[in-house]
Amino acid sequence: MDSATNRTNMCSGLGADELMTLYRIDEGDLQRIREYGKIMAPKLGEMIEEFYIWLRQQPEYARFFSDPDKEASVRKLQHIFWRHFFEAEVDDEYIRSRRSVGEAHARIGLSLQSYFAAVNHFLVMINDTYYDGSQGGPQHGATVSSVSKLVHLDTSLAVETFSALINRQLSEQSRAMMEMSTPVTALWNDILMLPVVGIIDSRRAQDVMTAMLSRIAETRSTVIILDISGVAVVDTAVANHLIKITKATSLMGCECIISGVSPAIAQTIVELGIDVGNVKTTATLQDALTQAFRQTGIVLSSQ
Amino acid sequence: MAVAIMRARQQCQEAGFDVSTSCRVATAVSELARNIVKYAGQGEIILLRVSAPRGAGIEIRAQDQGPGITDIEKAMEDRYSTGRTLGLGLPGVRRLMDDFDIKTEPGAGTRVTIRKWL
Ligand SMILES: Nc1ncnc2c1ncn2[C@@H]1O[C@H](COP(=O)(O)OP(=O)(O)OP(=O)(O)O)[C@@H](O)[C@H]1O
Ligand SMILES: [Mg+2]
Repeated sequence: MDSATNRTNMCSGLGADELMTLYRIDEGDLQRIREYGKIMAPKLGEMIEEFYIWLRQQPEYARFFSDPDKEASVRKLQHIFWRHFFEAEVDDEYIRSRRSVGEAHARIGLSLQSYFAAVNHFLVMINDTYYDGSQGGPQHGATVSSVSKLVHLDTSLAVETFSALINRQLSEQSRAMMEMSTPVTALWNDILMLPVVGIIDSRRAQDVMTAMLSRIAETRSTVIILDISGVAVVDTAVANHLIKITKATSLMGCECIISGVSPAIAQTIVELGIDVGNVKTTATLQDALTQAFRQTGIVLSSQ
Repeated sequence: MAVAIMRARQQCQEAGFDVSTSCRVATAVSELARNIVKYAGQGEIILLRVSAPRGAGIEIRAQDQGPGITDIEKAMEDRYSTGRTLGLGLPGVRRLMDDFDIKTEPGAGTRVTIRKWL
């Protein structure tokens, strides 16, 4: 079995065999579940009916099932899900289908709380309410334990996918946030500009550097203006970051001009004892732009 | 940290300091706050308006219960850093301010008190 190619692309992705071992499910368990399925399969319709009576009382219900067509299609999927469960063929295909259940729930924004409550509701119906008493006590005990193991495996897969998806959404969001907070703009041919505002910590400095370097690579610009007039303070750490950024851009053949260095900031930097080396700075954005024009050979004329 | 810096600047302006002095004080607060975050993990920064016979001013106390500084002489030297940065924070703060006092005990924490007079 080639488990590597069977992995879904979003999870750490253990294969069916590994998961069975992890959840201590053996052939005997699967056999008991199939046996029990003979009692349960005919009652699935009824169970789902009862489940929806409970579900309608849940606060999240209205949000997800406003439209009756949707409820009907979800019901059908649930029927398939449980039939699949009682067939108890735990192979990679089975695992994949369980993972997609998690993804589906995460997509609609269902809370994990409600998801667990729903699974629990089914578990009670299966083990208790809809059990016809036809198995002996010890046998039913063994069945209940087998069913619980597989339900736990199912649930863990759904939750794993669920959280992977949420994490991906979060990192996409923070990426978007970063892009919004580091808006590198092309001012002119060969001239880029990036205003930074607020507090600069090493994380943000890194973001700024990454954004600048990737735009430089993209546009082959030869001058980039970093405007710091909106930065709260330029202390040694910020100055250090600015110096590093300047070095990195010049390694890429792009000169960095730091604009917005007010007289107050300039004095503070000197008193701190920071050697800015040959970092180019200007008081205003306009000065920086003038310098950039000169450097790129652009002549402004007013007529 | 952002809050401490903003408060410091605001207090300076309220106390009547000019823009560049306010900028110095805010920068000093930023240095001390960064040291706390970097070396002690947590601590506090207290801003006070003070008055003395020679006039009014602002006092900042930055204190933490972190590891303290073993070699304070060295720590006050330019370009000494155990954090692989410039090592200009503490000596720079001393140059930016009028009064500078540091008390530290290895294992017990650090307290830096600085003042700027109008
Ligand atoms: N609150 C503190 N607790 C423990 N150690 C400190 C604290 N503040 C400073 N130190 C020690 O003193 C050294 C000098 O501090 P200083 O602020 O001058 O430089 P730095 O923080 O290393 O670099 P920079 O401030 O230039 O980024 C630090 O490297 C650190 O070892
Ligand atoms: Mg420091």
